[in-house]
Amino acid sequence: MSSSLLHPPAHLSPSVALQLSQLAPSLLRNAPSSITSYSLSSLWAPAESPELWTTYENLMLSCLRTGDEQSAHLCLERLTERFGAENERVMALRGLFQEATAQDDAALKQVLGEYETILAKDPGNMPVSKRRIVVLKSLNKTIEAITALNQFLDASPTDAEAWAELADLYVSQGMYPQGIFALEEVLLITPNAWNIHARLGEVLYMAASTNDSGSDKYLAESMRRFCRSIELCDDYLRGYYGLKLTTGRLITNPPQASRQSKSDTGLPPPDIKTVERLNEAATSKLAEIIRRNASGEAGWQGYDEAEIIAAKELLDRQSAPIIR
Amino acid sequence: MTWLSNSITGLGLLFLAHACYSAHEHSALHSTSTASISSIVSHGTSAPTVASLPLDISLETIVAVFTVCLGLVLGTPELRPIQWRVWAGKIEREGEKGFMNGDGQTDKDYVGNPFKVLESRPGFIDIRKQRKEFAEWVREGGGTSAAPKS
Repeated sequence: MSSSLLHPPAHLSPSVALQLSQLAPSLLRNAPSSITSYSLSSLWAPAESPELWTTYENLMLSCLRTGDEQSAHLCLERLTERFGAENERVMALRGLFQEATAQDDAALKQVLGEYETILAKDPGNMPVSKRRIVVLKSLNKTIEAITALNQFLDASPTDAEAWAELADLYVSQGMYPQGIFALEEVLLITPNAWNIHARLGEVLYMAASTNDSGSDKYLAESMRRFCRSIELCDDYLRGYYGLKLTTGRLITNPPQASRQSKSDTGLPPPDIKTVERLNEAATSKLAEIIRRNASGEAGWQGYDEAEIIAAKELLDRQSAPIIR
Repeated sequence: MTWLSNSITGLGLLFLAHACYSAHEHSALHSTSTASISSIVSHGTSAPTVASLPLDISLETIVAVFTVCLGLVLGTPELRPIQWRVWAGKIEREGEKGFMNGDGQTDKDYVGNPFKVLESRPGFIDIRKQRKEFAEWVREGGGTSAAPKS
C-alpha cells in the first residue's frame, strides 16, 4: 500500500484514492513532521529519506482529490517547513491547494493572477508555469493554454510531459496533425515508450476516421505505430486492440493506389497479405489474453478490467458477421 | 527452494570448516613429529620436509568450496528480464503482482510502466476536474457499493 504512495496518484481509481486519503490521519500522526539536521535529536531520530517527502506530496494530492483539505493542508505545511516557501515545487503545490479550494471561477482567476506575479518575478519557474497552463485549461481557455504551452516548450523543448499535454490539448480541439506532431516529439525524447506509440496510433486512427483526403496514409501509419508498440512490449493489450481495429479497416476498404503517392516521401501502403496476417495475429493474441485473464491464470491478471471487456466486445463484433 | 539452497550452503560451510580443522590438526601433528625426529637425528641432512597435506583434505576443501558456490547460486532470486519487450510485457501482463518479493510486498524499486507519467502527467494535474469526478463517483454510490480493491 505504501508503495503506491510513492507514485503520482493521478491515474488511480477513485476507490484507491479514497483508501489512500483515509490513511492520511494515521500516516500524518506517525510520520515525522520535520527533520532537523545538525541537532542532538538527529542522533536517534530516523534518517531522512526522499520517500518521506514523496509520500507527503502524493498524500496531499490524494487528499485534495477526496476533499480532505485538512490533511492536505497539513502535508503542505510540513513540506513548506522542510523546503521553504520559495521552493518552486512547494510554490506549485500551494497553488494546487488554492486551486482545489477555490469556490468559483473568480477565485480561480485570482490564483491565476498569483501565478502570473510569480512568473513575472521568475520566468524560469517550471512547476508554476505548468500550473498556470492547467488553470487556463480549467477555465476553458484552451486556445490560450495551447499558446502558453507552446511558449513553455520553446523554453524547454525536452519536456516530454509538456509535449504529451500539448498533444492532448490539440486532439481535444480536433487538430490532429498538430497533435500527431507533438506526440512524435514525445517519441523523440522517449523512443521506447510503448504506451506513447499506442497513443500515437490511436490519434492517427482518429485522424483517419475524420479526415477523408489523407485517411489511407494515416491508417497505414497508425497500423505501423501499433506494431511498434507491440514490438516494444509483449502481450500489450492496447497495442493488439489497435492493430486489430486498424487492420480490420484496412481490409474492408483497402487503400487505393493513389496517383499522388509518387510525390509522397512516406512509406508505400502496406501489402494486403501482410495486413491480413497481422489481423489474424492480433485476433488470436487478443483471444489468448482474454482467455487467460478470464481463467485466472497467474501472471495474466495485471490488465485493466475495462480494457479486457472492450477487447472482448471488439472480438465479438468482428466475429459475428462470420458466424451468420 | 530457499531451504534447499540454504542447506546446501550450510553443508558446504560445514565441510569447509572440517577441512580447515583437519589441515590445522595435520600441520600441528606433522610439525611435532618432525621436530621430535629432527631432535633425535640432530646431525642428519637438515632438508626441511615439505609439509604437504594429504590428498583427502585438499579434495574436501575443493568439494566444500564448490558446494558453497552451488548453494549460493541456487539461492539467487528469480532473474529479472533483460530484454525490453519481455520486461515491458511483464509489467503489462502481471501488474504489481509480478514484482513481489518473498514476503508479499511489492519491490521498493517497482515503478510500473515508467512512461505512464506521460499519460497521467502529475505536473499538469487538473485537480478541480479530479475533485468533480470523485464527487460524482461518491454520489453514484461508488464509495459504499464497490468494495475497495487492495
